Amino acid sequence: MAFTLLVNNIQYAADVEPDTPLLWVLRDSIGLTGTKYGCGIGQCGACTVLINGLAVRSCSLPVSRAAGAPITTIEGLSPDGTHPVQLAWKDLDVPQCGYCQSGMILATAALLQKTPNPTDEDIDRGVTNACRCGTYHRIRQAIHRAARMRA
Amino acid sequence: MSSSTDRPATKNASDGTFEIDRRQFLTTTAVVGGGMVLGFWLPGRKAEAAIIPADLYTRPEPWYRDAQVPEINAWLTIGPDDTVTIRIGQVDLGTGVMTTNAMIVAEELQCDWTKVRSEYASANRDVKEKAPAWTIPVPGGGNAHDPNGGGKPDQVGGPETDTGVYRRMGVGSSGNVRESRFYLQLAGAEARERLLLAAATEWKVPVTELTSKNSVITHAKSKRTITYGAIAGKAAQVQLADPSKIRMKPPDKWTLMGTEQPNRDVPVKVTGAAKYAVDIRMPGMLYAAVKCCPAWGGDVKSFNFDAVRNMPGVHSVVRLPLDKTGKAKETLGRTTKDGFYSGGVAIIADTWWHAHKALEAMPIEWDRGPGGSATTQSIFAEHMAKLQAPGKVIVSEGNVDMAMASAARIVEATYSVPYVRRGRMEPGNATVLVSDNRVDIWVGDQQPQRTLQNAAMLTGIAPENVHLHMCYLGGGYGSSGNGPQAEHAAFIANTVRGRPVKMMWTREEDWGVGTTFSPLHIGKCRAALDANGWPVAMELDYVQTIGVAWPADSRGIAMPPYWMPNYRLNQHIATSHIPPGRVRSTGARPNAFYLETFIDELAHAAGKDPYLYRRELIARNPPENMQDRFMGTGVGGFRYRDDWLRALDMVAKMADWGKKLPEGWAQGIAIDDRRRGVGRGGGRQGTICAQVHTVEVTRRGQVKVHRVDVVFDTGFSLINPLTVRKNIEGQIAWGMSDALYQEVNVKDGGMVEVNFDSYPVLRMNEYPPEINIQWLKTNKWIEGAGEEAIPCVTPAIYNAIFKITGKRIRSVPLKNHDLSWGVQTA
Repeated sequence: MAFTLLVNNIQYAADVEPDTPLLWVLRDSIGLTGTKYGCGIGQCGACTVLINGLAVRSCSLPVSRAAGAPITTIEGLSPDGTHPVQLAWKDLDVPQCGYCQSGMILATAALLQKTPNPTDEDIDRGVTNACRCGTYHRIRQAIHRAARMRA
Repeated sequence: MSSSTDRPATKNASDGTFEIDRRQFLTTTAVVGGGMVLGFWLPGRKAEAAIIPADLYTRPEPWYRDAQVPEINAWLTIGPDDTVTIRIGQVDLGTGVMTTNAMIVAEELQCDWTKVRSEYASANRDVKEKAPAWTIPVPGGGNAHDPNGGGKPDQVGGPETDTGVYRRMGVGSSGNVRESRFYLQLAGAEARERLLLAAATEWKVPVTELTSKNSVITHAKSKRTITYGAIAGKAAQVQLADPSKIRMKPPDKWTLMGTEQPNRDVPVKVTGAAKYAVDIRMPGMLYAAVKCCPAWGGDVKSFNFDAVRNMPGVHSVVRLPLDKTGKAKETLGRTTKDGFYSGGVAIIADTWWHAHKALEAMPIEWDRGPGGSATTQSIFAEHMAKLQAPGKVIVSEGNVDMAMASAARIVEATYSVPYVRRGRMEPGNATVLVSDNRVDIWVGDQQPQRTLQNAAMLTGIAPENVHLHMCYLGGGYGSSGNGPQAEHAAFIANTVRGRPVKMMWTREEDWGVGTTFSPLHIGKCRAALDANGWPVAMELDYVQTIGVAWPADSRGIAMPPYWMPNYRLNQHIATSHIPPGRVRSTGARPNAFYLETFIDELAHAAGKDPYLYRRELIARNPPENMQDRFMGTGVGGFRYRDDWLRALDMVAKMADWGKKLPEGWAQGIAIDDRRRGVGRGGGRQGTICAQVHTVEVTRRGQVKVHRVDVVFDTGFSLINPLTVRKNIEGQIAWGMSDALYQEVNVKDGGMVEVNFDSYPVLRMNEYPPEINIQWLKTNKWIEGAGEEAIPCVTPAIYNAIFKITGKRIRSVPLKNHDLSWGVQTA
């Protein structure tokens, strides 16, 4: 079955079964591998993408429910890694292994869209992804810095 | 070259719509398998002709490439624009070696650090090329107190490690810097000396009149200069008369090492561009999903491929054989020529989702094997039985029995830690292409040398023809972390020669039989106190499972750092069908938990402050220049006694120990050196870490860590303090995950908690809002920095919890304990 997806402002036609998780369409059909598989059950957040500007865990979303809506992956957040969240991430040298960071960055971008100047409590509620390296200290600092950059 | 494998042909979509088709990728991706090398630099060829790609410094593909510009030695090449490419032997799984190890080479090379890029070294080349003789001797004889000394490549990568050109490519035991710093410094220095020699020859001046800095060689007398890039071609062809005379810079001469440098892999990790193995895409690539018997040592009894062969995209089925000899368990749970530790089945399909769906739908019956009825309870009971039976006396100092008999008071406590796993984020995977005379493997791998040999064994293709293309790795956290990922992939790809196959485990497969486990441990401590509450004797009995990757581990407890005039350590060995493996902090996880909780219990029994009680008992040890009674670590000469005291005092001062806190809050303290008492030369190295955790427990029993103060040993110097600081911040999260939640239970011989819902990882809202780290400079080389802050976390938090609640937690994790305290108000 063919689905039309709007990913990073490019239209794609994906011929896949309707229950295929969006994650696998992004990664294996379209080739946008910045979005990662971590748990497959919507728990870890490594697969986070933006749909209509909201953070969504793509491993648990059937492609049929994502068709037509504007989707942003890490590759589409900025053309050259200069989105304020990415800049703040570089300033704070946040990533360690880096595997969860695409999801962290997109969850942060969604948070700042809704709450431009988040408190620590907003961050606790808004960024619930897992990082096994434990980069949370720097993520929190980077979120505050990105918020200042956007202001 | 192959760098275009990741780029879908979206740019060509003229009408804005793009039909996704595998054949499109075929036209846009590079030829692979024999086509990896488009060209390489040969002496005599003009280096200027080589094209320097614009994205050189930020390339997302980290793997080795044959040099297209002059190669000075196996570790580095220099392009005409002074770009220095440094080959990194170990995978960067988040520990920053792509930057740290490059700093070590660049320091000695005296090149322009802004023009340095890193790529991985080649395991294939390591098979074919011997290590140069001048890289072999350990400067200073490995003496940790010699500023030039310390370290020796160990066998983490396998027996081939010591002879191949890149020495130790394995990652583990916090060893990247410890085990490779000296030969990386030498590699940088050797290259610099040859650049100087080439310039001296060119100018016909004595080499001693030349200086070099920032990739420029200067002859002051004649006011001549030349860049590294301009002389590199000639330097590649000159040899030093006696490379063994190369000297390296001691720490007080460093200018780059010891400074905080941003990590070079960060830019590609914030754009999604960084290539992990799981991101590899190949023309004509097939995908495989795998299920192995969830009970260790079990096998497939039957499966019905006919039921799923017509599902979308299904290509074929592959049986993964069980190694019936059981020897695969002893290969870190990887493989022998006879098969795997758990037998299984794989389905190959056109996409991973298709392979996964078919495998989920396929009826499979398991034979759960000899361990198939084991449960946590049965394993725990076996361990307790062993603990109660007589053990092997490992250490016996003085007369424990006599001291116990005449003591004023006996304190006794039994502690336990559960099975835990590394739990890396990237699931086990590898992409393998087998042709009739060559194997290509794309993988993020902690033991590339071992993997290469295993792939050769499984495919029957000579190791010299196996090429491993190292990718970024989404976490490691313990040296035996790979599991049989590459071996599964190689075995499966060997059934469809000529086509690349990406094998990927599900999270459940990865966290089940895809990895090895730090086993459960039980420790029983007894101490005799005198009338003033000071210990006169102590006895510690511990029981653990052993395995090839997990020897009986007495680190830290072979001799306690606390003065015990009489001491005995008894070891009890249990067996289990679950392969034990190394998980970050290894034996210090149980051992520091026993010791740092028990010393708090003794302080409480004595009615003394836990910081000052520790301090007094450390200070009572004879100083380090006394003759050692046990391997230089214990009673009769505590090697780093005064450094321990400094660490303890520093952390108490940082945290303002004893300050007034709100009701329900308390501070807990712990100190550890996880290398103490083990290792070559009897723990001559070491890394001291002391911590104070400021903890709140609500009356309902909710725990919150508000602040962590850390003192961390830098030895002579760290290489990149920024990276160590980041790592320590992460280790606090790691330790808290252990302390709060993590345990893996066993049922029907398999692991129960196999995904994030049942095996939680600490999240943002639980991370301490305040963390302070201070460096403790000591007069030695440290052992490492990848795990040394972990062992203190659990005891420090539990000690604070005791102060608040009066509840002494003796079994990890906290989720199994009711921490509510005081009178509940309605």
